[in-house]
Amino acid sequence: MADPARIKPEDSPEKEGFTNDEHLKTDETEHEPEPETSADGSKEPSRQDRPRDLNTEGEAAAADDEEEGTSGQPSAKRLKLEPEKKKEKRQKVDEDEIQKMQVLVSSFSEEQLNRYEMYRRSAFPKAAIKRLIQSITGSSVSQNVVIAMSGISKVFVGEIVEEALDVCEKWGDTPPLQPKHMREAVRRLKSRDQIPNSKYKNILFH
Amino acid sequence: MADEEDEPGFEEELDDGSGGLDAAGHGRRKRLFSKELRCMMYGFGDDQNPYTESVDILEDLVIEFITEMTHKAMSIGRQGRVQVEDIVFLIRKDPRKFARVKDLLTMNEELKRARKAFDEANYGS
Repeated sequence: MADPARIKPEDSPEKEGFTNDEHLKTDETEHEPEPETSADGSKEPSRQDRPRDLNTEGEAAAADDEEEGTSGQPSAKRLKLEPEKKKEKRQKVDEDEIQKMQVLVSSFSEEQLNRYEMYRRSAFPKAAIKRLIQSITGSSVSQNVVIAMSGISKVFVGEIVEEALDVCEKWGDTPPLQPKHMREAVRRLKSRDQIPNSKYKNILFH
Repeated sequence: MADEEDEPGFEEELDDGSGGLDAAGHGRRKRLFSKELRCMMYGFGDDQNPYTESVDILEDLVIEFITEMTHKAMSIGRQGRVQVEDIVFLIRKDPRKFARVKDLLTMNEELKRARKAFDEANYGS
């Protein structure tokens, strides 16, 4: 059974992560907790929100903790219901996403399958990354740091390659990416502040 | 066809042909990630055989990125050490990277728990 009050905030155009979660919170407390499915239309927005969802869930959880201290019974009950419902909703969204991915991958051509396999499997060697980080810090780093750093670096490479492919297409060239595409991509990303650069000091008044 | 790296000073000093004895060293050391980067570029949409010069540029960018992040991480939180919380903090503004790090760390925890449960089950029986 679809809960109309639940669907409404997800369909709302403002996708600001935190306010979205807040709407969900207030609506959920007014109605009975049902582990039900939200309507199909509302799945799209929640999936698009996912990258930001993880961001805001941390904030929402922090806000929850604060509330419990100040008010009494009702918010304690709210605290118990919130994470369960959100987890169920998240699991449902995960399952849908997994299913859709399976449908998509099953319809890939051989070349696409190859590329997808490379996309998923390629990774930086943990040993080399660990050596690199340790040579900079001078002290040892934990495994989680190496895992995080390799992951971020892979996303970084992806951003550059995607931007370079955009540049390549825009300039009317064909794939093997050339250094000029890479450099233009880096220049664009730098202007969007997606590439960290702490080499130059900003002298405000001189 | 492919641009030669003659333009001075854009990213790294790749036009310097001399070997590895330079203190400024990014571009000079042995290529660390050539194979993996080729696979990655193919996975992200490039040709199956990317140009070596492009792979080199990417490797320098990655090493510079990691160096920057490490230096920044050393300067915040616990000084002189790099911890996961510092990395997560530095990445907070970039939605893709932030989500990826959270996913990776969560999955790692789940895998560790699963392995531990598996080992305990074996030990018990």
